[in-house]
Amino acid sequence: MNRFLELLKTGPISGFRLRTKLLLLAMTTLALPWAGCQYAREMETVLRQSEQQSLLAVTTTIAGSLRGRNELLFRADSLPGSEGSNPRDITPVVLSGVPLIDGRSDEWDTSARNLVRVAGAGGDSLRLLAATHERWLYLALLVRDDRWIFDASELNALNPETLGDRVWLAFDDKRGGQQRLFFGSTGPGAVHARRIETQEYGREEAVEEPRIQSVWQRSRDGWVLEIGIPMSMVGQHLGVLIDDRDRRGARRSSYGTLETSDLRATGRLIAASPDLNDHLRQFSQPGVELMVAAPSGAVLTRLDAPALPGDYTRMRGFLPRMYRVFLDGGAIPRSVSQSDRERAGQELIERAARGAPATALFTGRYENSVIVAAAAPIFTADGKRVVGVIQLAQTADRWLTLRDQALTRLLNLTLFVTLFAVGAAFWFAGRMTLRISRLGAASETALSREGSLSRVLPESEARDELGDLSRSFSSLLGRLDEYTGYLRTLAGKLAHEIRTPLTIVRSSLENLESEAQASGGMGENARIYVARAREGSERLGAILTAMGAATRVEEAIAHSERQRFDLAALVRATVEAYGTAFPQRRFNSEVPAGAIEMNGAPELIVQMLDKLVDNAVDFSADGATITIALQANEDEAEISVANPGPPLPAEADKRLFESLWQSRAEGDVPGERQRPHFGLGLYIVRLIAEFHGGSARAVNLPDDSGALFSVRLARWRGVFGMSDTMRSNRDGSHIQPTQ
Amino acid sequence: MKKTIAIVEDERAIRDNYAAAFSREGYAVRGYPNRREAMSAFAARLPDLAVIDISLEDEPEGGFELCRELRGLSAELPIIFLTARDSELDAVSGLRLGADDFLTKDLSLAHLIARVNALFRRVDALRRPTEEKQVIHRGALSLDGERMSVTWNGQVVLLSLTEFWIVYALTKHPGHVKNRQQLMDAANVVLDDNTITSHIKRIRRKFQVVDPGFDAVHTVYGMGYRWVE
Repeated sequence: MNRFLELLKTGPISGFRLRTKLLLLAMTTLALPWAGCQYAREMETVLRQSEQQSLLAVTTTIAGSLRGRNELLFRADSLPGSEGSNPRDITPVVLSGVPLIDGRSDEWDTSARNLVRVAGAGGDSLRLLAATHERWLYLALLVRDDRWIFDASELNALNPETLGDRVWLAFDDKRGGQQRLFFGSTGPGAVHARRIETQEYGREEAVEEPRIQSVWQRSRDGWVLEIGIPMSMVGQHLGVLIDDRDRRGARRSSYGTLETSDLRATGRLIAASPDLNDHLRQFSQPGVELMVAAPSGAVLTRLDAPALPGDYTRMRGFLPRMYRVFLDGGAIPRSVSQSDRERAGQELIERAARGAPATALFTGRYENSVIVAAAAPIFTADGKRVVGVIQLAQTADRWLTLRDQALTRLLNLTLFVTLFAVGAAFWFAGRMTLRISRLGAASETALSREGSLSRVLPESEARDELGDLSRSFSSLLGRLDEYTGYLRTLAGKLAHEIRTPLTIVRSSLENLESEAQASGGMGENARIYVARAREGSERLGAILTAMGAATRVEEAIAHSERQRFDLAALVRATVEAYGTAFPQRRFNSEVPAGAIEMNGAPELIVQMLDKLVDNAVDFSADGATITIALQANEDEAEISVANPGPPLPAEADKRLFESLWQSRAEGDVPGERQRPHFGLGLYIVRLIAEFHGGSARAVNLPDDSGALFSVRLARWRGVFGMSDTMRSNRDGSHIQPTQ
Repeated sequence: MKKTIAIVEDERAIRDNYAAAFSREGYAVRGYPNRREAMSAFAARLPDLAVIDISLEDEPEGGFELCRELRGLSAELPIIFLTARDSELDAVSGLRLGADDFLTKDLSLAHLIARVNALFRRVDALRRPTEEKQVIHRGALSLDGERMSVTWNGQVVLLSLTEFWIVYALTKHPGHVKNRQQLMDAANVVLDDNTITSHIKRIRRKFQVVDPGFDAVHTVYGMGYRWVE
């Protein structure tokens, strides 16, 4: 906790402005939509679970209705699992459409689970696929054969000399007899299944079986035979055998699911009873797909879902799409590919086949469609054995729509609320920052450089903490004001107070001298002491005069009257006078010819020039040239005085024009005058410049060979009345310490 | 008979020192520490000259009040303000109340005595008939050095003693520039430049009261002032 607080104070956040911080704070409302999403997901999970539960309940009900009713489940007698699993068993897949019997393998799924593989002479030569649709059984024989040998003649099918490759199809019929049919062809195309019948006199004849349709075609690595048989013909067992010959009439090599010795079918045909669909149809409901599978996972029958009332359409538009990005991540297993989907379905069936009902959720055929599936085992009557699995699948689009709608509403709302909160926070932060910075600026400028205070701070009316802050600032400033007021008047009061005892001293001394003179003079020593005392008191007097000088100057300036005069003429005349006043300096005047009229107080301008020139003379050596320049434009005039000499001290720039500031060190100046120096000269310059609506500044000459003081004066607009500086200084001298 | 000088000054040491100095010069001196005592004494008998401090004991502006009351008693009585205050505002107020001079306590005793003597001379001169030779005529100006009075176009311009001496110095040699130091010397005062400037300003204004077109005192920038006829 402490570390956290420490981090708040010194961490990266501490560097932010208040506005940024508050904005970040407002951003936390963005957690609202997140929380909404979480809630929606919870809701979705609950919905999904209840959906799964109800689906499971239905599934279990149907499974219960099928319990012990093998005759309903399977074709007669084909009890799966009763004899253990047999690799020759054929479990046809249930097709949703009528397959085309064309001898092509491309519509068959060669990776299907019900594929039967048989090793022949060439190894893994036969792949047998089976499917049902309605009451038909379809078989596909995919055979690898490097040489497909045809019969020599259609008519002479039984002549061993002319036999080519031959396919045997054998199955039980309903009456318990064995049916053996063969396919032999003189070329690719439709072929007939033929049965060998013994005619009169033992003559054997190949009789066509017209109910069976088949097409025999060449494939990439051999050939394909597709066969369609009505389910009613077939009994419990079914198998195929291939007699492969390298040439016509040659010795055959046989492989397949039939016994090669007597062509008996031992592999079972595991398929649903024809009545199963009718039984299941009564449970059919919109949007629910019904499927019954053998415990091995092979699908016995499938009842497609009747169409849903009303098409599910996902919400379109930018925002819902954005929301979905938030939402769909992770909630639903994304098994997109067909095989993945089937594996997921298969797993579900396997779980149910182990005896327990199960539910699963997987992605449907279309993007973002979700399927809820439930599977339940079908038991035998004694409940000991699982004979099948029933699976119900339902697209979850209904509750997805529900979820999407709820979420969209929720997110729209939270987005709106967030925007509002952010906006409000931004506004509040902005206002707060503005108020604080206003208060800060006011408190910063409340104490002016001259020591005057403005006590009126913003926000002092406010009733919140900022108001309190402002008020405490105000009271602090008030106390400070009293103090600075005391300081400001201290010099004046002090000067006044000292002047009285000084007058006593001086008048006493004068009286003493007069008395002494009258009574015949003082002694030598006494005269010296008196002289020293007088000198001291005079210096004290000079100091007092200097201390009050600023006030007198300010008053004089404040009482000055403006008049129109020619500044150029004034500067010319004044510079001329300086030539005689300071014979040790040369004066160079750069004043444009002609008149520069301005409105101001010429006496003050002269006084200002006097101070500037005094300053320049003080800081330059004998024989130096002081340059006085005057420039003017429409509104302003600039007077500058440049002198060679020491450069200005670095920190002097701003303080130079303040009262009682002087930067000259002892011995710094050639011919320092022996009188108290209070640095008033440049302060007076500034006051006069301000009186004329201008300003004063000091810079070093570009090569540091001296200093240049320049004063800007407004030619036509000045400060009418007193400037702030003057006002603040009315009631006393300055007591800012001399540097 | 000795001339009587009243000193109204709350600081006893100063009062006594001034009294001693004036006594040495042969004046009778009476000192009062406050306005109340001074007024009760003046009501009985007016002095020949009054030297008044502005702040008197508990009255910060008691001197001004006293001056006003004293002027009410006598229009001619010379009054000198002698004060530690040196602000322009005080000087203007004092002179406006009818004081003949406004001096700060920086002034030496010798200068003060010179002032007092001059004022007595003026009072005496006013009582005598005018001797023409003492009067300087400069155009519209006539200046009586003895009475220390000035007229412009025949109208009296009421100048304080300091102002009179400045005008006197300027008009002695019309057209000559007098710098500030010279004017200070002439006025027997130690003043800073600004005070001279404000004296000049006051002088102009006083002349402008009797003649709004008055423009005889010229400023020579950087040098000083001169009288132009």
